[in-house]
Amino acid sequence: MPEPRLIDGRDMEPPEPLERAMAELATLAPGDELVMLLRCEPLPLYSILDRNGFGYSASLQADGSNEVRISRKIQP
Amino acid sequence: MQPVLSFEQAPPISVPYRFFLTAPLFGAVAGLVLVLLGPDTFQSRWSPGALAMTHLIVVDFMLQVMCGSLLQFVAVVAGANIWRPRLVAHIVHPLITAGAIFLASAFLLEQQVLFLVAAAVFVTALGLFLTVMFIALLRTPARGMSIYVLRTAVFGLLVTVMLGATLALTLGLEEHLQSEWSLLALINVHVAWGLGGWALMLVIGVSYLVVPMFQLTPSYPPWLTRLLPAGLFVVLCLWSLQLFASDAASQKWQTAVGLAGAGLGAVYAATTLWLQSRRRRRQADPTLIYWRGAMLSLAAFALSWVVLETVPQLGGSPRAPLWLGVLVIPGLFLSVITGMLYKIMPFLNWLHLQQQGGTVTTSPNMKQMIPEGAMRGQMRLHFAALGLLLAAVLWPALALPAGLMFTASCLWLEWNLVGAARVYARFRDKIRAAAGTAVAEPR
Repeated sequence: MPEPRLIDGRDMEPPEPLERAMAELATLAPGDELVMLLRCEPLPLYSILDRNGFGYSASLQADGSNEVRISRKIQP
Repeated sequence: MQPVLSFEQAPPISVPYRFFLTAPLFGAVAGLVLVLLGPDTFQSRWSPGALAMTHLIVVDFMLQVMCGSLLQFVAVVAGANIWRPRLVAHIVHPLITAGAIFLASAFLLEQQVLFLVAAAVFVTALGLFLTVMFIALLRTPARGMSIYVLRTAVFGLLVTVMLGATLALTLGLEEHLQSEWSLLALINVHVAWGLGGWALMLVIGVSYLVVPMFQLTPSYPPWLTRLLPAGLFVVLCLWSLQLFASDAASQKWQTAVGLAGAGLGAVYAATTLWLQSRRRRRQADPTLIYWRGAMLSLAAFALSWVVLETVPQLGGSPRAPLWLGVLVIPGLFLSVITGMLYKIMPFLNWLHLQQQGGTVTTSPNMKQMIPEGAMRGQMRLHFAALGLLLAAVLWPALALPAGLMFTASCLWLEWNLVGAARVYARFRDKIRAAAGTAVAEPR
């Protein structure tokens, strides 16, 4: 399992985390994972992921930040 | 609670942009009024030029941007369904524009009938806007202080419009209608609800979300987020009691209410400046500097209010209200509005392009939407114009350069915003062309 790519967007001004995510997603291979750390619930990102065949899970961290793990959906 | 932004409900980009792109032009017209009428404009708040300038700025600049932003913000932040936003914008935008022109003309030409026309136009436009906004804000599933404060701000606009229409009817039907209220009290209460209950309340509600999110500051203390709007609302209600009593005892009491309002403004300004000093990113972009300038203007307004109340020789000057007006209208509100426009338009550009292009098409970076140097140059001109306007209150001979500089800063803002809209249009066309090519190509 390759190391997940990480975007720590906690100290970035919106929409910089989303901009970086767009760049990473373009080269995310099946089986790869992108992890994002954010201070908000990125609903715009979720709708983009849904439309473009990515799956994701979000979990609230102890420091109040939001960890979003993204990968390509496996095609049936 | 984490801030949540939703873009599923966002209205078409043309809805807010029509308001944004009109607003600075009327700021430029207001500056030209000062240039043409010269030093007489700043003799007192009652001069036709001062009244026309004020309404051109507060209605055709501030109200335009605030209505356009609210149509976007309520949908995005509250996830609220706005009833046919494109249709509402098509009706409200031209009517507000026309209403302010009628009102400014009424003051400048002293034509009573124009007051009546302006009142009818505003009641129609804002009646529709307020109805749509109230329904959206009451039906939204979202909760949180920002929503409560936005509801209070919309109520503040309702009170302002009702009092404004009463004033316009009083002025327009001078010989036929004698208001039971003193005209001065009616104006004082109208101004307080317009600037405090609508504009400042809206800035406070929006700042709870955008200051921590875009300026990377800590959040406002929860107790303060409740105290500020509640305190401001109580102050405005008490201030409105002057409509019913105008004897000496009540005037003393009103002084205390005014000081409490100035105190709340000072607390809000100081807290925002303190939060900004603790931001996690050290870079100071034009939006941050605009907000700082706005909060310093609000603090200066509060301090000036206290001084003018406690030193009667100064407070009694006919130019004292003009000094306060310049600090609060171009100083506080136009600074916040311009700073936010420099953040909102690139953000909306980027977002709408993303939605059209998905992850495949490369959209321009946020920072490429409006050149940083152009924003900083316009910002310097804005603050220089603010300084000159304040100086012109003290030395009216400076009215001409102050008016010219204010006009120039508004035109530069217009240029920057039109540039952002053109960037959007250019990339949207590219995305559409690429999509058309992809469909046309045989696989």
